[in-house]
Amino acid sequence: MSLLRILLIAAAFVFIGILPIHAKDMIVKEPPKSLSKYYPPESKQPKWIQQMHKMSTHFGGIFVNLKEKDFENVDIHADKLVEEYRKTSEMVPEWEEYFNIKAAEDFAAAAKTHDIAKAGKASSGLGKTCGKCHAEQEVSVWAKFYWPRFNKIKVTDPISEKEIEFDDYMGSISSSFKGVTVNFGEGQYDRAAKALKVFKSRYMELKSTCSKCHATQDVKRFYVGQDADKAFAGLSQELNSEKPNPGKFWKNIGLIGKTGCKHCHLVHRTNSFIQEMWEK
Amino acid sequence: MKRTSRILDLIIGLGLLCVAGFAMLYFLINERFEWIPKQVLDLARDPEILKRPAAKKCSECHKAIYEDWKDSRHSISWTSKNFIEASENRTKEKCLPCHIPKSVQGEKPSPRLELRDEGIYCVSCHFIDNKMQGPYDLLAPPHPTFRNPDYVRSNFCGSCHQKTYKEWKATDVEDTCQDCHMPRKKGRLTQKAGFNLLHKKRWVGDHRFLHGEIKKKDVVIESEWEENFFLISLKNQTIPHSVPTADNGDPRLYLYIKFFNEAGEEVDNAKEIIAPQQETALPYNKKIQYRYRLFDKIFKAKIELKYQPAWSKEKTIVRVKTVHR
Repeated sequence: MSLLRILLIAAAFVFIGILPIHAKDMIVKEPPKSLSKYYPPESKQPKWIQQMHKMSTHFGGIFVNLKEKDFENVDIHADKLVEEYRKTSEMVPEWEEYFNIKAAEDFAAAAKTHDIAKAGKASSGLGKTCGKCHAEQEVSVWAKFYWPRFNKIKVTDPISEKEIEFDDYMGSISSSFKGVTVNFGEGQYDRAAKALKVFKSRYMELKSTCSKCHATQDVKRFYVGQDADKAFAGLSQELNSEKPNPGKFWKNIGLIGKTGCKHCHLVHRTNSFIQEMWEK
Repeated sequence: MKRTSRILDLIIGLGLLCVAGFAMLYFLINERFEWIPKQVLDLARDPEILKRPAAKKCSECHKAIYEDWKDSRHSISWTSKNFIEASENRTKEKCLPCHIPKSVQGEKPSPRLELRDEGIYCVSCHFIDNKMQGPYDLLAPPHPTFRNPDYVRSNFCGSCHQKTYKEWKATDVEDTCQDCHMPRKKGRLTQKAGFNLLHKKRWVGDHRFLHGEIKKKDVVIESEWEENFFLISLKNQTIPHSVPTADNGDPRLYLYIKFFNEAGEEVDNAKEIIAPQQETALPYNKKIQYRYRLFDKIFKAKIELKYQPAWSKEKTIVRVKTVHR
């Protein structure tokens, strides 16, 4: 068997082992409370993911060194992997059952034979334990500990100049938006023009809101950028004209909805729905 | 008589010797410190200073600069209530490099782990490449200081204030950040007894890093009435960067316009938020115009411009102006 074939087989085992187990029904449930102590703010460092990286490094280190025939380091990584795996299994008691120490030990023993095919084969048993936990818990962990929480964001409403919760602010944007569209639909163009000032002001405030998390200008420009500016200018022009053109008005309303609201909601809402459920 | 005269001569001689010695030392320290043998200098060195000490250690000699720094926003960049709140209890990674910089040297710094409560402190800016640096080559007995011309150039501040630096660069104005925010005055770099006499006076920058107040003369307000519209223009005519400016903070100018009818009743109002994060800050020397439709018969408008810095919810009045139709 050529070395290349052996490596391909080994790589296949590694990938099969690491890939999550796919299931059509996925339940996103809040991670156990004991995990919180391994993530900020309870912990200064994100210790859980650091632990994952440690295991992953030792796992990868075995195959890198088998390939390089650096058997001394293969043995070191094999021992360390078992050690870190055992340590991880004790960190979150609620997840103890995901771990199989014997599978880790069997894999380490196979790796220590320095036979890459044996190691690859033995890795699948261990990989499945990782994959099962990832498939069932990874989305929840990311939703809980990685995605920023919208409920922590406070926004200064440009109209009242009061600092309010993000959700309430979204509600106020929505109301001022309706002030524009409802009045326009009723042919009350002056009222729609006044409502547009309020809506625009609140909408543009979102640039400051995006900046609370995003460090680059381009991100906020994607949502509240030139397209939105043009759409607002178009709306203002229509509402200040003698006879507003409904076609142009609704086209610009649609542009704001598409370029701003929808783009941002596509990225952020799913996660925020999950977080909201847990925070109720 | 003769004996008294001898004693007097001796005193005068010793005095002259002391003055000459002091003058020689003063000359050596301030003008030719490279003549002093390394072995002699090594005796005066304090190795603790080259181990990234806390600001308090530096204050043992640089008391005046330390006191200025204590009054600055830099000293509370990690501890200010506003920062803790805005950074979600210091968990936002984007804030860390500039609020606890390890070493500032022309590009975005890396955050440090130690002495975080000191914020942007002496070592962040002056201890670079394992040596103490500043605007002068100096013999400071406890530590040598090496001249780095960047200390009087804007690009140094631009390490963190990147957006403001770009704005300033685009103006072609020669005054640097330090010229306005660290105005220099003649003084001694050290206040430690003895050392303060040995070091000559130099131009020392104000380490409070003055935050420019926006004054009436800085923003020109002009207005104009049209049949159904009221036009206002604002121009930042003196500050060579956008006003307000910030990379990540959210300072704001609020422009309020109240419209009154003939009876003096307020019948409408408008507001503009002029803020870097909303990309509405006033660029240098450029008129920015705002146009308001008048829905009622208006006789006068009252214009008010207020400033709110990034670290406060309080607003201060910059200008108030009433214009009649």
